[in-house]
Amino acid sequence: MAFNLPIQFSGRERWAAVAAGLSLALLPVAAPTALSPNFLPAAQAQSSKPVLRISAIPDQKPEKLNRLYGLVADELSKQLGVPVKYVPVTNYEAAVSAFRTGNLDLVWFGGLTGVQARLQKPGAKVLAQRDIDASFHTIFIANTRSGIAPGNSQKVLTQLKGKRFTFGSQSSTSGRLMPEYFLAQAGVKPNQFAGGAPGFSGSHDATIALVQSGAYDAGAVNEQVWRSSLHDGKANRSKVVAIWKTPGYPDYHWIAQPNLDQRFGAGFTTKLQKAILSWRPSNPEQKAILNLFGAQQFTGAKASDYVRIEQVGRQIGKIR
Amino acid sequence: MKPAAPLLVLLPALVLLPVLLALPAQVHGGGWELIGTFLKAAIQPSLDPLVLRSLLEGLGVTVGMALLGWACSVVIGIGLGIASSRLVWRSLSGSVLPAEVLRRLLALPRSIHELIWGLLLLQLVGLQPAVAVLAIAIPYGALVARVVSDLLDALPDQNLNALLLSGTAAPAALLTALGPPLLPGLISYGGYRLECALRSATLLGVFGLGGLGNELLLTLQSLEFRELWSGLWLLLAVMLGLEALIRRLRQRWGMPSRFGLGAGSSGQRGRELVVALLALLPVLLLVAQALQVDPMALLQWQPLPAMDGQHWGTALALPWLPLVWNTLLLTLLAAALAVGGAPLLLLWVAPWSWGRRLLQLLWALGRLWPPPLTALLLLFVLKPGVLTAALALGFHNLGILGRLLLEGAEVTGSAVEEALRCGGVGARIALLYGRYSGLARSYLAYGAYRSDVILRETVVVGLVAGTGLGSQLNESLSSFAWDQIALLLLVYAVLTIVGEDLSDRARRRLL
Repeated sequence: MAFNLPIQFSGRERWAAVAAGLSLALLPVAAPTALSPNFLPAAQAQSSKPVLRISAIPDQKPEKLNRLYGLVADELSKQLGVPVKYVPVTNYEAAVSAFRTGNLDLVWFGGLTGVQARLQKPGAKVLAQRDIDASFHTIFIANTRSGIAPGNSQKVLTQLKGKRFTFGSQSSTSGRLMPEYFLAQAGVKPNQFAGGAPGFSGSHDATIALVQSGAYDAGAVNEQVWRSSLHDGKANRSKVVAIWKTPGYPDYHWIAQPNLDQRFGAGFTTKLQKAILSWRPSNPEQKAILNLFGAQQFTGAKASDYVRIEQVGRQIGKIR
Repeated sequence: MKPAAPLLVLLPALVLLPVLLALPAQVHGGGWELIGTFLKAAIQPSLDPLVLRSLLEGLGVTVGMALLGWACSVVIGIGLGIASSRLVWRSLSGSVLPAEVLRRLLALPRSIHELIWGLLLLQLVGLQPAVAVLAIAIPYGALVARVVSDLLDALPDQNLNALLLSGTAAPAALLTALGPPLLPGLISYGGYRLECALRSATLLGVFGLGGLGNELLLTLQSLEFRELWSGLWLLLAVMLGLEALIRRLRQRWGMPSRFGLGAGSSGQRGRELVVALLALLPVLLLVAQALQVDPMALLQWQPLPAMDGQHWGTALALPWLPLVWNTLLLTLLAAALAVGGAPLLLLWVAPWSWGRRLLQLLWALGRLWPPPLTALLLLFVLKPGVLTAALALGFHNLGILGRLLLEGAEVTGSAVEEALRCGGVGARIALLYGRYSGLARSYLAYGAYRSDVILRETVVVGLVAGTGLGSQLNESLSSFAWDQIALLLLVYAVLTIVGEDLSDRARRRLL
């Protein structure tokens, strides 16, 4: 049959040929739009109204992130009169890098990632923090079978030498940076843990689950997550206990690109900051946002509030 | 003395002895409750419309990215594969040196995990959907190139020589003599890469687009098992659907199994194939448009992050020997578990009719669960360490290799096995001598390719403490320590080149 000329199609082949013909006919429809300059998102952004792209380090479950930042985008858009879009990112490093390359305009960073982002993008502005962020705490937790005793003094931490220990995410301020700093103060180096290195569970929730199960003898978690885990029963007090609470340090904050005034008009950065600071529980939409953030309200913040984080970051080697 | 072929395939499974001996000391068993919660969540996944909508959107993005990344990688791979074939260069210029050089160079893009490619490209071109496509296309393209050049070099060259001796120009002779016999292997392997691309796009959690991987990773990290399972079930449906489709197409076009490196017929349905490929083109363009993948955006380069030269000392002072040792140990353990485990398990369940079904289900789960998920589940009952990480990687790759082995076994036909069975031989021995003996060498050669992939994947099981270069790379990335990252990637590349050299030699002896 293959030698028959002119070409004769069998039933199936005819069907396939029709499909191919149709899709080839569609090609000119798809191709010009795909290849024309109008298709460039950048070009679109320049021709119409600029879009304020907001994002956040991914430290929550996606459903909550989508709900929370969807609300934030709506509220900011309403207050500022510009289109606002939430851009999810997959990890802490991607959030910092995308801020450096100018693809994100306003980002909810942690203490360490915020400092990293500002150092990589000179001129970036610290806008606000939550009321609870000025003095944030880390809780060291331990499995009850590990034999590690709780206490009120930092000396408690010396018991962790030779134990299996896990941090949260590598870039987390409360799950890694500050706990490593307080461990160093107590004379415990990361290579003194069992196995010669700490684990990185990836998140506070995972740290609690892994310490509770006994995979790790101890770990360090964000106080906010620890409290809510105790509250909703995810953490079982008979299996995992808090052994020491760190002194306070500054954590999460909003950071904005340096060029927002040029792109959105003079005074836009100030307007943006005022909008965030104006959110109150008396307004139902704003109350929903504040609840999801676990805060009463946002307060003004400035770069100098995070000098201590930068110093610790340099000491630990996370900032260079 | 060479061991008998049927036993060859079981050799890697010897690793089970030390593993089983070491395992009891690793068990802490404190998290069975959590494993129970995880399994219970499987039968009651979250049906919250908000969750489902975002999962479905994510699934669309992931499938689209996989398709685009796959298409690019196949095009890149065929081009580079031909350019790095010894046979082609020998015919064209008489020297195989360019092929050898290009082959070694291609180890560099291949040795870097998609996830890391994504982060590196993000530095260069910013947060663009096109980054995700390229992050898949680069390492996969290099991998396809290696397989294509291996396929080419393994083809019998009598036809080519005949054409060349009769005075045909080298390019025309190459195309005529090698094109048709290459096609079946190429299409079979290309189909398999699409399955891999789907898994990668899932793990990648596409940058700035969300995607199913993003959802899975975050639900996993927040231990929302019910929402996690909603995503896993969706992914399972798509994965099995895709695998079934590719399987049917392969059977229809008369293709050999994936790791059949021998020549086959060029297929009866060539015309249909061309038509299908033409039909794919507008689909790809529409997907690219829907996902706002814009190749032009890749040309707008961003300034690179500042790199000062002060920290090279710190970078060089990293504990390189233990890092490399742990990585090699992890890779070899995981590879041996996966390569040896698949035939061993099949043999074990051979006497029972339902055994194979059960295994297929288990393997589907292995392919479905990203290695970080398996690692977390294992940590609920095992202590952290190289063994736990190896089990996680081994389980994932066992799922992939097991399926390939079953497929290979199907293609070889059941005549010998049935003859043995009729002669009164037991089911296990019949399977071993009837099927595996013919399959052993190509299966092991394929296992060697897979070790390459496992080496790259050591990056993704960082939550298990001290797993070597992978843990260190994650740490250096989070510190934006570009000097350390550069050195680490270099070491990965060297390991890949050495590993490739060894597996090349092994394959030449095996095949």
